[in-house]
Amino acid sequence: MRIVIDVLIVLSIFFAFAGVVGLLRMPDTFCRMQSSTNVTTFGVLFVLIGGFLYALFYLHNGEMMVKCVILAVFYFVTSPIAGHAIAQAAYLHGVRSEKKMACDAYGEDLKKGPPQPQSAEEPAAEAAPAQDETAKEESET
Amino acid sequence: MSELLFFAICFVAMALVLAARFVVGPSVADRAVAGDCVETLTDMAMVLFALYSGRAIYLDIALVTALLGFIGTTLIAKYLEGKL
Repeated sequence: MRIVIDVLIVLSIFFAFAGVVGLLRMPDTFCRMQSSTNVTTFGVLFVLIGGFLYALFYLHNGEMMVKCVILAVFYFVTSPIAGHAIAQAAYLHGVRSEKKMACDAYGEDLKKGPPQPQSAEEPAAEAAPAQDETAKEESET
Repeated sequence: MSELLFFAICFVAMALVLAARFVVGPSVADRAVAGDCVETLTDMAMVLFALYSGRAIYLDIALVTALLGFIGTTLIAKYLEGKL
């Protein structure tokens, strides 16, 4: 069990390291945001699973188990919200990707103005073949 | 027992490396994202130190830090959108 916990934490360190390298080396703001989610999903998940197992088998501390679960649930609820909010704010603030974006659905929506309340059907974003990775990552973020 | 401390030091070292992005980041959103990630990494170091020392108070501090980081990032996002 001790080996399992260590392997989980080392896996978490690997994912967090990948996220840090991506944040330092990616060429673009939206690429860096996409890479930062690597830290807040897998880097958090495995260390909290390891902490849960450690508190369960070695410390015999129910309080720490519950708090690890609460931390994991909290991170998984809030990190997509924060990522989406900061990506939208960066777009509105004027940050653009370096290359030309293949698909810019949010910019087209902004040009169209606020949506009318009776027109329920949204124009679907045209499924352009994603030659550029940046636009896809931005829509994911 | 002491390898948990070693892993915590790894997380803190990654957070210190990430502070470079916090300094040189060309836009405000870069700095906000880098600050969020630094907060997450120090949070994980705090969880590991709580396991090492066997005291649950560090997990409380980690929870409060996560909450404050989320609130700060969302607040910066709202400010950049101009809705604040």
